[in-house]
Amino acid sequence: MTTQEILSNLFCSFMGTVGFAIMYNVPKKYYLGCGATGMAGWIMFLIVNAQNHITSSVASFFGAFVVVLMSRILSVKMKCPITIFLISGIFPLVPGVGIYNTVYYIVTNQLTQAALKGTESLKIAFAIVMGIVIVVSVPRDVFHKVYYWFVAGKD
Amino acid sequence: MESEMTEDRKITKKERTEQPDGEVKQVVDFALEAGRILLKNGGEIFRVEETITRICQHFGVEHVDIFTLSHGIFVSAENEKGEVYTRVKHIPLSGSHLGIVAEVNELSRQIAGGKVTILEAQERLAQIDRIPPSRARTQVLGAGMGAACFGYLMGASLAESVVTFFIGCLVYLWVILAKRCRLSKIIINIAGGIMITLCAIFATRLSNASMVFSLDGMIIGAIMPLIPGMAFTNAIRDIADSDFLSGTVRMMDALMVFVYIAVGVGIVLMTYNNMTGGFIL
Repeated sequence: MTTQEILSNLFCSFMGTVGFAIMYNVPKKYYLGCGATGMAGWIMFLIVNAQNHITSSVASFFGAFVVVLMSRILSVKMKCPITIFLISGIFPLVPGVGIYNTVYYIVTNQLTQAALKGTESLKIAFAIVMGIVIVVSVPRDVFHKVYYWFVAGKD
Repeated sequence: MESEMTEDRKITKKERTEQPDGEVKQVVDFALEAGRILLKNGGEIFRVEETITRICQHFGVEHVDIFTLSHGIFVSAENEKGEVYTRVKHIPLSGSHLGIVAEVNELSRQIAGGKVTILEAQERLAQIDRIPPSRARTQVLGAGMGAACFGYLMGASLAESVVTFFIGCLVYLWVILAKRCRLSKIIINIAGGIMITLCAIFATRLSNASMVFSLDGMIIGAIMPLIPGMAFTNAIRDIADSDFLSGTVRMMDALMVFVYIAVGVGIVLMTYNNMTGGFIL
């Protein structure tokens, strides 16, 4: 990847997430956090996806993992519901390409391809679900303690 | 006689220790209203239940049972005399105003911290409920920005992203207008999908030697504002909290919207495909 590509990816994932935050009526003071969450998830996705022998569903899992982790940390830090960061931050990982390709192949009657792409998007969606569930299941107190311990430097 | 009765009432009111009937009713009504506002604007089930419990317990209603579904809340509270007060509230699946969710959460924190009385809290809640959504213009521009940026991430060229911005704006404008007219989700999303694909096909017709537009990047970007991210994410979170019933309802809601969009896009692609003899992309 060239530097320009990296910069444009960073910029677009940030601005795109902020766009969705605006759509969902998120208050202005959280825009920065939303954008950062979406950007972190997308960068993680790109890094993992660039490795050999790793499918995009595994990359989506790691992306979702980072998104949820970051949302939880931010929600403790800014004292607000995690939903604010999570919903807009997860958007870059949504398998839009997969859904489109599935529909396209169904319409053009290439059913084998459609089944392939459809299964792939389902796998990605499931990977996102797993990423969210794993981080969300960690009890809230753990996050509070860890956060105050490491970040704020008090218990 | 009459003065005796009023005397009597005063005494009983004083003698009652903590929670006269009126207060249980007041607290439960207030807690239920907070729950309604949260659920309506996209709060998760556990947040709704936690908020109601927190409010009730802070204002001295110890025995309270809550059953929350994705579109309804059932609350039943009991005072120490064994009198039960029960309310059911139906809340249609709608809305996505995360700002209001954040405000109610903040209010509930303050109540738990003992900083507000119930009257102040009621006042604040009524104000929160009246917070308007951001202006339609801002939301439309946000949708366009989201569509363009994600289109670019998914492989559209710069020129295609610019087109996607306008398609995204147009589609979200349609969504806002259709919601005001209370059209059903089926119509909104199928028509949205049709609109996106028609615009994208129109844009490809404009391509010339210097600028070639391809369909897929534009369509993928422009369907983003229609995608039910909130229903999907909340469904997953509800299922993760073992609220399977609400999670399933919300997941179904999200899946159906995906299908409607696909149908809308599919209809136009198929017709175009047949008309041009299999030549797309």
